[in-house]
Amino acid sequence: MPAMLDGKVAVVTGAGRGIGRGISIALAAAGAKVVVNDYGVDIHGNVPTDAPANEVVGEIKKAGGQAISNGDSVAEWDAAERIIQTAVKEFGRIDILVTCAGILRDRMIFNMSEDDFDSVLAVHLKGTFNCIRHACVLMRQQKYGRIITFTSGSGLFGNPGQANYGSAKAGISGLTKVAARDLGKYGVTVNSIAPVAATRMTLTDEFLKAREIRKQQGIIREERALAQLEDLKPEDVAPVVVYLASDYAANVNGQFFLCAGGSVSLLSQPRAVKTIFKDEGAWTLDELDEIVPLTLAEGLVNPAPPRE
Amino acid sequence: MGERLKGKVAVVTGAGRGIGRGIALLLAQEGAAVVVNDLGGAIDGSGSSSGPAQEVVTEIKAKGGRAIANADSVADFGAAENIIKSAVKEFGRLDILINVAGILRDRMIFNLSEEDWDAVVKVHLKGTFNCVRHASVQMREQKGGRIINFSSTSGLYGNSGQANYGAAKDGIAGLTRVVSRDLGKYGITVNAIAPVAATRMTATVSDQARETRAKRGITAGAPAIQMRMEPEDVAPMVVYLTTDNAKNINGQTFLIRGSVISLLNYPAPARTITKIGRWKPEEIAAIFPSTFGMDLVNPAPRQD
Repeated sequence: MPAMLDGKVAVVTGAGRGIGRGISIALAAAGAKVVVNDYGVDIHGNVPTDAPANEVVGEIKKAGGQAISNGDSVAEWDAAERIIQTAVKEFGRIDILVTCAGILRDRMIFNMSEDDFDSVLAVHLKGTFNCIRHACVLMRQQKYGRIITFTSGSGLFGNPGQANYGSAKAGISGLTKVAARDLGKYGVTVNSIAPVAATRMTLTDEFLKAREIRKQQGIIREERALAQLEDLKPEDVAPVVVYLASDYAANVNGQFFLCAGGSVSLLSQPRAVKTIFKDEGAWTLDELDEIVPLTLAEGLVNPAPPRE
Repeated sequence: MGERLKGKVAVVTGAGRGIGRGIALLLAQEGAAVVVNDLGGAIDGSGSSSGPAQEVVTEIKAKGGRAIANADSVADFGAAENIIKSAVKEFGRLDILINVAGILRDRMIFNLSEEDWDAVVKVHLKGTFNCVRHASVQMREQKGGRIINFSSTSGLYGNSGQANYGAAKDGIAGLTRVVSRDLGKYGITVNAIAPVAATRMTATVSDQARETRAKRGITAGAPAIQMRMEPEDVAPMVVYLTTDNAKNINGQTFLIRGSVISLLNYPAPARTITKIGRWKPEEIAAIFPSTFGMDLVNPAPRQD
């Protein structure tokens, strides 16, 4: 039986560690030739090194797969082009692009520096765009392609202290939806994963400290949910990505999947849950004062109510 | 003149024309002192002129309201600080921030240049961050505030040809959700509007593009029937969100088209498959059609 991705060529960014590493290994195991891209920096985006990407390539080759490492930064337009060109030069084409590369610099909005915002946006959002932009030209020509981006619950649901990361990740979700519509007719699909997994990006000192505080405050529900994070392995995200990269998923396009361990969810698309309208003319404030509390705002919960 | 916002101070970016102008006028009409910010550039972000902002100020003053014009660019971190500071300097505080400023540079993704990407993301997403960042410090000290950002159906649903704009606008939706959680406990609310209105920005979508979309059945954002969608129609709900009545509405997104106003959902799992342990790709391929695949629609199916 041929493997699911026999003859395909893939690029995985941020593939040196965590989720990207798991995906590279799984793609290679399914028969794809893989460009293992990793800039090799720490989680804040500093101190680049080739080591993590090279290790993953070594691991893939040892298992009988084909792979090559690349240490370019996705955040730079020309460097991103080199990543994509590495696939073409080395393996003759590019069929699959998986964009995992990312960094973290958490701060409450009122303390966030311009550099903290710019750096996170440059790697996640601009980096995802850079890679898609260069890959999609080739995929459009060959009338085939699979792009899988990485968004996050932080942007979709809102995590405090992550204005930069949440903006970037939600931006990737918008980019995914538009690119799916721009590229679908050429046989290129664009889907997105919101992963939950224990990696060096999530099991941070800050996270562990915050969890300890929550535990002490007796916020049981959250503590319960978070206690499982260590059980959610980064490798668990890979099978869905392999599926989306395969011919089986030819008609899955513009969709979002939440992946946490053995649990995979299709996320709902935005839709109106409540609507008010009037037949003639614009609403007046007097009317809204009266009707909004009984309709649109009825039952709404403030996610962070004022503390007196 | 209303009294709802008496003593409040507001900043409205991109307030020289269209939706921003309508909001600035209604805020002033309800008693707020308004900083009317507009760089006064073209749709694509080129050029600048203090004309549009000044005209809105004149209009507000003619009706007995209080306003000053500001022509700083939201896209620059330091200039955005000037916008916020001009409210504090002129009117003594800042209660309301409305982020409307934006530009458009539509291209299919395979033709989108780095510059077209950067320019649009910089004004919309970075510009919104810049203003929110500087305003949040002031509002946190005051223990109160109202921030309303502008997202778009382009990002929420995905409009072909708008990778830059859609990414920026969905980014703003994410920023809104995070910041509502950062600031809520200080009595500050942060909400987003996805407006549909006939302005000079939507007028740039060519008739040909509209026809093509209609022919392909791509009607996202296009009205099935003729409905009113004046830029001024967006203002009442925005101003409502700035009032004390809306103090507990936080982290939400509202879709506004004419007099139709909708509350949008948060994304949530629609279907879930669970296995103890790790899935195999082949298992997902086998189970997908009868689970997730049941009602999936490809928004742009392959054309052979």
